[in-house]
Order: sequence, then structure tokens, then C-alpha cells
Amino acid sequence: MKNILLCLTLIVTCSFSSFAHAGETPQRIISLAPNMTEILFALGLGNRIVGVTSFCDYPAEAKKKPKVGGMSNPSLEAVISLKPDVVVMTIDGNPREFEERLRSLGIKTYVFRASRLRELPKGARDLGKALGVQEEAETFAREFEAAVKRVEAGERVTGTHTLSARGRTLFIVWPEPLIAAGPGTVIDDALTLIGLDNIASDLRVSYPKYSIEEIIRRAPEVIIIGRGMDHKDIEKISAGLLKRLHSVPAVKNKRVFYVSDDLYRLGPRTVRGIEEISGLVVR
Amino acid sequence: MRIRMFLIIALFFLVLVLTLFLGPTVISPFAVDATSREILFSIRAPRVVVAALMGMALGASGAVLQGILRNPLADPYILGISSGASLSAALGILGGLTFMGEFTIPVLAFIGAIVTGSIVGIMGWKRGGLWPERLLLAGVGLSFLFSSLLMLIMSISSDEGIRKAILWIFGDLSMSEWSRVPYGLAFVLAGIILSGTKAKALNALILGDEFAHSLGFTPHRERFILFVAVGLLTAASVSLGGMIGFIGLLVPHIIRFFMGSDGRVLIPASALVGGVLLCVADVISRSVLPPMELPAGIITALIGSPYFLYLLRRKNVLGV
Repeated sequence: MKNILLCLTLIVTCSFSSFAHAGETPQRIISLAPNMTEILFALGLGNRIVGVTSFCDYPAEAKKKPKVGGMSNPSLEAVISLKPDVVVMTIDGNPREFEERLRSLGIKTYVFRASRLRELPKGARDLGKALGVQEEAETFAREFEAAVKRVEAGERVTGTHTLSARGRTLFIVWPEPLIAAGPGTVIDDALTLIGLDNIASDLRVSYPKYSIEEIIRRAPEVIIIGRGMDHKDIEKISAGLLKRLHSVPAVKNKRVFYVSDDLYRLGPRTVRGIEEISGLVVR
Repeated sequence: MRIRMFLIIALFFLVLVLTLFLGPTVISPFAVDATSREILFSIRAPRVVVAALMGMALGASGAVLQGILRNPLADPYILGISSGASLSAALGILGGLTFMGEFTIPVLAFIGAIVTGSIVGIMGWKRGGLWPERLLLAGVGLSFLFSSLLMLIMSISSDEGIRKAILWIFGDLSMSEWSRVPYGLAFVLAGIILSGTKAKALNALILGDEFAHSLGFTPHRERFILFVAVGLLTAASVSLGGMIGFIGLLVPHIIRFFMGSDGRVLIPASALVGGVLLCVADVISRSVLPPMELPAGIITALIGSPYFLYLLRRKNVLGV
């Protein structure tokens, strides 16, 4: 009887202590995705980040944080040795097994579920709640929502488009071999938001290898080429492709634009990426 | 035999023409508008020619290699030449090199292939000649070394870069252009003609060095010339469109089922059927899920392997 009582007390105290834990603001955060690192910095949690992936290169301070490996293959040992209060992951970038492994070892995890443009505000608010920075998250979400509205409204009001209302567009992630941004990507969401018609959105693959002769047939009016993470020579790399697409309206009318990598990650820079593209086509 | 050879040649040209008109959209040769004409001449035609050249190079070099190494499992990739080419191409892709514009990656692949081929040749050289076992082992060893280096580089580079490099390595014909055809044609023809003129020597080498010697051939010299031909063929094919499996290994066996193993027939027939297979695989890879494209290397094995296994059951293989 005494033993049972002891057990009960133990169980009760343990569960209470874990409840108490849940409300606390974590002091040591590990981010396992570049966009999460950017969001955490934007929410003012930069100084609490104790570990990031080797791909986390933005903002500049993120590069100085200890590395725990890649997104798909983070080092379990590195994560554990940093004694995190919480490990922040994304639903589509990190392996599920890794998250389960961490939880089984008693490490708290937070899985960020937003992967589309419209999901970001809610994702940020949920994250803010879990990490005890509701106010910052609310500001972040509001600013994002306002920016999205501005872009939408700008599209309706200005009417300075030299394009047809739904200009056929191709977003090239990599020119050789040609990889386009397809459905389910933030890029596709952004193009739709601006009112452009992504000619790769009817596929089933997010980043399809796109047929060159189909580009000629579908005759996009705008071609946007992403500069990627570190390719300053993208103009040179894409020269051959554009030569072959010389008869496509976008190339003929000089509507080929190069854009930064702001749209590649769902985070604080996404708005800038949307505005960059909308600025190009509204002009 | 003459009739079969004639049939293969006819099939080759028929497939070249057919695959030109087939694709994500079938173009009728009787109703060609401006867009279709452009697609035909500047997109499909160079692609069909490059696929044919690559397939020919792989088929012929497989037939020659299986002979000089006296090993039915030899293929153009077993000597590590393609691993060397892939490593050098991947370094170029991941490092963002553009010193020669659009030719950068093919040229890097070609250099990688030639350098690797030379290393294998040096390793396989002993007492004034190339030895089949040494070549094979040196090739396998180097192949492992380069593949692991490639994996190492890939595992420490960004996800984005890895994807690009993988796509290139698994064979990409979508960037085929007329500008690449003359170089490809020159190397592939040189390789096939060189091996064709040595076909009799190849027949003798298969029977053993002593036998070849008694027939009046100098085994080491003949093997060296054939090895150079294989190196040229493999380097040209890898630099034209990355790695395409199956053709080099199994097309020569399919030809042997039907036409025997006389090099004078085997080499040209393997080349032509290799070209046919890759053209067909490529037309499938670009047509099944438009506007998306699949890697042609997957399709060659997917349509080739079942047919090969079927033949294995039906035909009397290796006289067993």
C-alpha cells in the first residue's frame, strides 16, 4: 500500500513538473531548418539558439552558431550534447524518425507545420505560443498578412500590368538540367498571389524536370530564374537555355528576370521575395 | 546474317525518324507549323542524334570491353571511367564553374573520363602490356574510390546542389544541342571505327593471349588499341549525357544471342541496337508524364532488363 502511494505521488509530481515545463520559455533552442532559423531570429530568439544546421546561413549571426549537421541527416550526438530545451523542426524538411528518436530520449521537439504561403501566419503564431513569444509572433504574422494584402490589392488597383491578367509564367529553379518550381511550393503560391499563371502548376511534382519543347508550346510570357544560394554566374549558366528558348514570348520581349533566393524559404524574407517578383512584372 | 544486319540498320534509321516525331506532343510530318518546326529541328533532332550517339558508344564499348577483359560482366562503367567523369562533372556543378559557358560540364566530364582511363591504363600496365585482370581490378578499385569521393562531396554540400548533380549523373539528354553533336560524332565514330578495324584481333583475344599470338596478333598491342577506343567511346558518351546503365552491359549479350560473338558483327550491331534502345528509352522518358521528364537511364533498364531475362530463359546462353 505504501509503495502504491509512493508510486502515485511520483506519477503525480512527475506529470505536474512536465506541465510546469511546458509553459516555460525555452532558453536553449536548436533549429533544424534554415527557414526556422530565420523565423526564430525574426521573433527575437536569436540569442537563445544554441545549434543550427550547416545550411543555416541567414541572418549572418546564424553562421556563427554551432552546427549539428544537415537537414536530412543531423547528428543525434551533436543535438544531445548541446542540451537543448527544445528542438525546432519542419514537417517537410526533417526526417520524422529523427523527431521520434529525440522525443524517446526525452528531448522536447516542436514541429513547424506550415509549408505554404497562407499557412505562415498561423504557423508563426503557434510557434510563438509554444516558445513564449506570442507578442513577437503576432507582430510577425500581422506584418506578413498585411504585406500579402498589399500585394493582392496592388495587383487589382494599379492595373499597370503590361501583361495579360494571368500572364503565363515559368519559374526556373535551375537551368541545366531544367528544374521548374511546381505545385505545393512557396514560389507557386507567390506567383498565384501576384496573379501569374505558373505553367508548371498542373504537375504532381514540386520541382519537376520540365520538358523544353513543352515550354516552347506553352509559350510563357514571363520567365523568372532563381539565382539560387550562391550562384553569381547564373546568367552564364542559363545563356544556353535561353538561346534555345529564343522564340518564346518571354525571351523575345525581354521578360526574363533573375531573382534572389528570398522565395526559396518560407520565413521572414518571403515577403521580400514576393515583392521582388511583383515589382518586376507590375513595372 | 546479312539479312539480320540489314534489318538492324533499317530499324536504326526507322527509330531515328520515328522518335523525332513522337514526344509529349506527336508532330505529324504532314502538318508542321512554325512552333512544331522549331521543336523538331532545334529541340528534338539534336536530342535524338545525341541519344543515338550515346547509345552507339555504350553498346560498342560494352562489346569490346567484354572481349578484352574476357568477362561477361564488364561494361563501360566497370573501369571507373564514368565514376571519374561523374566526380569531375559534379565538382564543376557543385562548385558553380562556368569557365567554358555551356560546355563547362561536358568538357569537365570528358577530362575526368580521359584522366581516369589513363590511370586505369597505367595501373593495368605490367611487363610491356595491359593485363585483363589488372585492368579490371584497377578499374573496380578506382571506381570505388571515385564513387566514395563523389558521395563525400555530395554529403557535405547543399541539398540544392546534390539534386542537380544527381540529375546530371543519372543521365540527362534534355540539354542536347547541335553544338555538341560534332564533337560527339567525331569521338564516337573514331572509337567505333578503331574497334571495328580491330574486330578480328578481338575475336582472337577472347580465345586467350597465346591463341591470339599463334594467329599472328600481338596481344598487348591489340588490347592497348582497343582499350584506347573504349576510353574514347566511354568518355564521349558520359560527356554527352551523363551515365546511362544497362546498354553497355546487356546489349552486347542480346546481340550474341541472335548473331553470335564475331566481333565484326558484334561491334556494329551492338552499337546500332544500343542507339535504338536509348532513342526509344528517351522518347518514353519525355512522353509519359508531360510536361515532366524522367531520367532516360531508368527507362533503358526498365524496358531492357525484362527482355533480357526473357531471352535468358528462351535461348541457349553460353552454350549451357
